[in-house]
Amino acid sequence: MKSRFAISIKGAIAVAAYLAAAAHAQSQAPADPAIVEVHGGTASFAVDTNVPAISVHGKSTALEAKLRLRQDAEGTVLEGIEAAVPVKTLGTGMGMRDEHMRKYVFTTSDGQLPDLRFSSDKAVCAKREAGQPSTCHVSGTLAIRGTPRPFAIDLKVTGGGETFRAVGDGAVSLSDYGIDRPSQLGVKTADEVKLRFDFTARQSTRAVATSGRK
Amino acid sequence: MRMRAITAAAVAGAAVLLMHEPAYALPTMIRLGYTDCASCHISPQGGGPLNTYGRGIDAAQSLSGGEYEPSPDTRLTHDVRLHMQEQGAWPTIGARTNVFRPRLMYRNVTTISNAFRVSGVVTAEGREAPRPGLGYDPAARSSTLFVNTALIHYRPNASIELAFGRDQLPTGVNVPDLAAYIKSRNRLGYYDAPTQVKLFWSAKRYHITPFAYAPGGNEPSGERESGGGSLAEVDLIGNQRLIGGMTIVRGTATRGDRRTVGAYARLGFGQWGILAEHDVTDRTRIEPVVASFRQTASYMQLFWAIREWLVASGIGEQLHVEAPFQEHLVAGKIEIAARLSPKATLVFATRIERNMRTGRLTPSVTAQAAFKTVR
Repeated sequence: MKSRFAISIKGAIAVAAYLAAAAHAQSQAPADPAIVEVHGGTASFAVDTNVPAISVHGKSTALEAKLRLRQDAEGTVLEGIEAAVPVKTLGTGMGMRDEHMRKYVFTTSDGQLPDLRFSSDKAVCAKREAGQPSTCHVSGTLAIRGTPRPFAIDLKVTGGGETFRAVGDGAVSLSDYGIDRPSQLGVKTADEVKLRFDFTARQSTRAVATSGRK
Repeated sequence: MRMRAITAAAVAGAAVLLMHEPAYALPTMIRLGYTDCASCHISPQGGGPLNTYGRGIDAAQSLSGGEYEPSPDTRLTHDVRLHMQEQGAWPTIGARTNVFRPRLMYRNVTTISNAFRVSGVVTAEGREAPRPGLGYDPAARSSTLFVNTALIHYRPNASIELAFGRDQLPTGVNVPDLAAYIKSRNRLGYYDAPTQVKLFWSAKRYHITPFAYAPGGNEPSGERESGGGSLAEVDLIGNQRLIGGMTIVRGTATRGDRRTVGAYARLGFGQWGILAEHDVTDRTRIEPVVASFRQTASYMQLFWAIREWLVASGIGEQLHVEAPFQEHLVAGKIEIAARLSPKATLVFATRIERNMRTGRLTPSVTAQAAFKTVR
């Protein structure tokens, strides 16, 4: 009786160990990517001028983005990043200046006003301790006035679960895009434009599984 | 008792009669990242004619302004401004007042060379609203013709300017309302134009203005004050949205001295912003009584640009003066300024002032129209 009871205990322990091992193996397998979307994010810019006291600031709160997010051994992986800011939503607080900006900076030679667009195939976010912000180095292509140029930015990501906030600073040179520095009544902007992005991303749906594990 | 009554009447009268806004610099432009007056005004202190860029901004911020087309550069920049102000006040103690104050100003800046220029502002006005003197400050008589500004400017480079002549002294938040309690540092109010030499030293994140001054010539005998001071401000976080500054003034005159220390801030957030200043002045007088006393003046303005051309403000302020000129006034004001075109601005304001010692309430309503020529 005593020995049969001992055998039962051993069997239960073996089953528990198997189940635990199976669960651990499942947790180590690549998860299905999640579709993450950004609506109403903020994209702002600041550019100095030849007059020390004058800088031009502007922003849009219509940043839209979509990407796939998954976790793997590298950390958090962002894939298929597509972001856009409609030029018409960019404002500096002064209507006349906004008109000039759209006309002289963002309008193509054929009169089009294409959105600002950013795309990146893949970005990896460094692993982080729970509750600590993570840094995602995102490099891709930023198109201004329809002209794509390489662009990279480090996004500081906080939060977790299905919602996280990302903030990052970058810079572009107008000359890289073939854009003349705007000038108005003796005040001329610098070539470098500082950019800042601040948005909250939310997981919308699970993407179709791509890991092959069903 | 008699002293207190005189002081109360004088301060209330001054507040009513001096509610005059000569459409000087607009510190509310901090909302768009304009950290100092030199962005748009030829004079770094603000006021006076606009520079070419400033005229463009003036047009852009007007209801019907549109695109500004600059005329070819000339050595002469000048305009004529007409201010008409109608103000009614209904104090709970004392008689109702109704004041119409027209002022005609001619403003001129003449460029002599790349480094030198001269500037002047001359005002013509009626005599029907003389400014009563405060108990502790000299009386100021209105003048049919007054030279507000007569300066020689030397600008060796873009960041430094030296100016010599007569003008109002540099002030902190630089609101245009000369009736604001913080403007009590201008002892002669609108007619405060001491002879002075001042240096404007500007960089991207800071602005320093040391100055020394002597009597302007229109002060009563014994009130001819000489002194010096400085204004220093810094863009606190480097984004052209938050300017903090300090002012100090020390002046001596036969009948009394003063030492002022003030702190101020200008904050701008696109459509709205805040202007704030707090000044503490330690004063001594030998007339009408020998006394040392402290005067504090506080100002807070919350403004909101409903449209680019339409700015509404809520303003609160306080003035406290120690014995023997004991006074405690608080006031609230709501103001709407409409820039209809670069040539025309309308301002409507309603204000209520409470004398905390006597309980006297002074509600008032002001309508002001300002017109100017644009070269």
